[in-house]
Amino acid sequence: MAGATIDHLIALTVFLAALLLFIGFFNQMNQTAILYQYHSYIATECSNVLDSIMLNPGTPSDWGVSGSSTQNLTFFGLQDPEFQEYRMSPFSAMRLVSIANQVYYSQTGQWYNDLSWGLNGAYLLLPASDCISYHDATSLLGINGTYDFQLSITPTLAVNVTQIPGNDLQLEIQVYGSGFPLSNATLDYLMFWANTSSSGFPKLNSNFTSDINQTDSAGIAFKEFPSLSSNTTFTFIVKAFEGGLNGIGYLSRETVTDAGNIIPYIQSFDNGTANMVLAQKYGNNDPPTSIGNLYYNASFYALPNTFVPVFGENFAGELNYGSGTPYQNLTVTTNNQTGFLVIAYGDGSNYGTVIAPFGLNSLGLPVTFGSNVSGKEWVATDLRQVIIGDIAYQAKLSLWSLTGYQVTG
Amino acid sequence: MTASFFAVLPSPRQVSPLNLSRLALTTLETLDAENGLSSVAFETTNDTAWNELQVALSASLPSNVIYNLTAYDISSGGLQNLYAVSRSISNAQSLGIDSNAASYMVASSNVTFTVTPQKIGVTLYILNCSDSSGWWITGYTVQSIAQQLAGIFASYFEPSSIVMVQNTTQLGQLLNGQPLGNETLQNAIIINTCGEPVPIPQSYATLYSNDYPHYCYQLGNCTELYNWTWVSIVGYPFYYVTNTLALSGNQNGWGIYGITAINPNGLNAFLEGIDGQPYNNNGNWITDSPGVVTLTSTALANCSYYGIFPSPIQTSTRALPESVTAQYNLSIATNILNPTGGAIPGAVLNHIFKGAPDVTGSLFAVGLTRVPDTRLTALGILSDYNPALYKSEYTAAGTSKLVVLQLGLAGG
Repeated sequence: MAGATIDHLIALTVFLAALLLFIGFFNQMNQTAILYQYHSYIATECSNVLDSIMLNPGTPSDWGVSGSSTQNLTFFGLQDPEFQEYRMSPFSAMRLVSIANQVYYSQTGQWYNDLSWGLNGAYLLLPASDCISYHDATSLLGINGTYDFQLSITPTLAVNVTQIPGNDLQLEIQVYGSGFPLSNATLDYLMFWANTSSSGFPKLNSNFTSDINQTDSAGIAFKEFPSLSSNTTFTFIVKAFEGGLNGIGYLSRETVTDAGNIIPYIQSFDNGTANMVLAQKYGNNDPPTSIGNLYYNASFYALPNTFVPVFGENFAGELNYGSGTPYQNLTVTTNNQTGFLVIAYGDGSNYGTVIAPFGLNSLGLPVTFGSNVSGKEWVATDLRQVIIGDIAYQAKLSLWSLTGYQVTG
Repeated sequence: MTASFFAVLPSPRQVSPLNLSRLALTTLETLDAENGLSSVAFETTNDTAWNELQVALSASLPSNVIYNLTAYDISSGGLQNLYAVSRSISNAQSLGIDSNAASYMVASSNVTFTVTPQKIGVTLYILNCSDSSGWWITGYTVQSIAQQLAGIFASYFEPSSIVMVQNTTQLGQLLNGQPLGNETLQNAIIINTCGEPVPIPQSYATLYSNDYPHYCYQLGNCTELYNWTWVSIVGYPFYYVTNTLALSGNQNGWGIYGITAINPNGLNAFLEGIDGQPYNNNGNWITDSPGVVTLTSTALANCSYYGIFPSPIQTSTRALPESVTAQYNLSIATNILNPTGGAIPGAVLNHIFKGAPDVTGSLFAVGLTRVPDTRLTALGILSDYNPALYKSEYTAAGTSKLVVLQLGLAGG
């Protein structure tokens, strides 16, 4: 009788232990499934947010070409209002507050959104007050406090231009896609170079060619200008295309002369007019007051998809920080067209060039917008191919939840 | 334990997937942004073009994405074998078990999508009289307006039904009931391209040399008799008569010779003529000047339908008054411009005798200020006759291909 009772107790204990074990496994499996569902939901949300940004121009839809509208946005989107599908506005994209940083110019007392500070000689600096902040974007998208994201808009084709040492001006152009070189790509180029003149003002020359240059199997091509010495200051813009895919690259030879250099700030970009500030600097800093005259010659060109630039206006002037002209104002009529202002400057003996694009695609600049992705628990990413102007870009969105591990929505 | 061992949980890629379908679609759209994909899809034997496409495709996709791009011919037969593989490129033998695809329709660059308008079954006479002058057609000539109109209407009439009246003698022939060729005189449309003046044949200039408005009365009579639609493209209708030979010594008061002003008497006489009333040389000014006027909703809809896009806002200074409808048995058939303040700035007015079933003559007066916009004239006539447009089939055999891009992730 006692043996039967012991047997019964042991059996009950084993049964309870097995039951607990099973409940434990079952619970673990449920937890895993819930976590999977949660991750899956974030991925879906990521895709939806990306489409929402790319397939909507925002409200008002012309906010990209109207700085004053930026602060009155009632919905956020980057689609080009003149097109459908995944075509982004080149002007809305350049109003995204860069994740990199902002720069301050004491003479105007303004902070500028830094999408490009001297990257290969290009400056894209817009007043921060005319750009949209990440906080505003998340609020307008209705995800503020729920999700954070980072949006990277990068050209599909990387087109790098480097100068090769030698007597003549020789350039190497390297074109590659997502890890693959773009072989046999056709190249067109725009070349601007500065000559000295007796007046001290640089003379800006240009040569636009639909070239027969093609990249080799490694995606590399060379361009030589035998009539120009290797010391010539220049701005070179090249467009590569193959199989319906377009990319653009550039190199502008920025130098610091004895009278410093020029940094172009876009003071406002509104309804077809860009007010520019050409500031005399010494490198990145304000120059000493004893600095000499810096002469400049600048030209605006609209750059349509045909890659045939249309000359707009020319500006010439001089700067002298110590004599009360630390900068000059220019009013450039852009007619809401993408293009660039190429600026040659010099002190009479040394010269440099810089370039200021209007529209993200004019020089194929990238932008990264949003929060910092590093250290986040679970980040979903999604990718779209988009067109800006006629330049192929990739829009990559990384998105993560701020609400912990609960499933929301 | 056994249950948890056999429980099938989704793979990490299924848990947080890259939206391959959208990536495929946007890749196809990017490649076809300048019709590059469309042209390559139809060059199935061009290895170079397909190699370039593959290079572009590889360059535009992340390196861990594998793909298969296939162009399909679309057959026009039955449901069987509707799509046949035309050419395919891929960077992997298999896309694994988890892939997604997007399809994209491309059209051949050689294809022109034709639109065939229904023909308006009447004769269109365009007064292109070499012996007449124009007024209020500043910047144009009579001949240039005639050419414009002929171009606009070319597809809406049979070629033999568009007749250029080359001189006032031919106009006189029409007024005598004789066609210039094999065209049908009855129910014709006559567009006066001279603006405010109306061409007058020499014989009529001689006949009515002391009373030119009487000629306009005769025009009204003929319009009623032959059920014509008389079109005045701008300004005050019948304000002048013109004949550079018969009236060579006269000028319109503004230095244009070959023109004589007959003032409002011309329009009044025409209206009397179309209504069969006794001729009364009446010089009362009857038009209004409502100023800014707008296209009617019907006209705006027809702008899109016929692809004619004049400005929707116009300025009217010579609009017919609504009173003419009752006074001369006219009824508004088609309004092009919205009536305002008792004025009819632009409308086709049908003349119908009281109690009569049929229309007997029409007047389409565009009472706008100079210069004329021939598109408004065209819009008015097309809105009145409403010819249908027959559009070609988009999916006609050989004109379209289906391109499918299937994407997968390396590693299955």
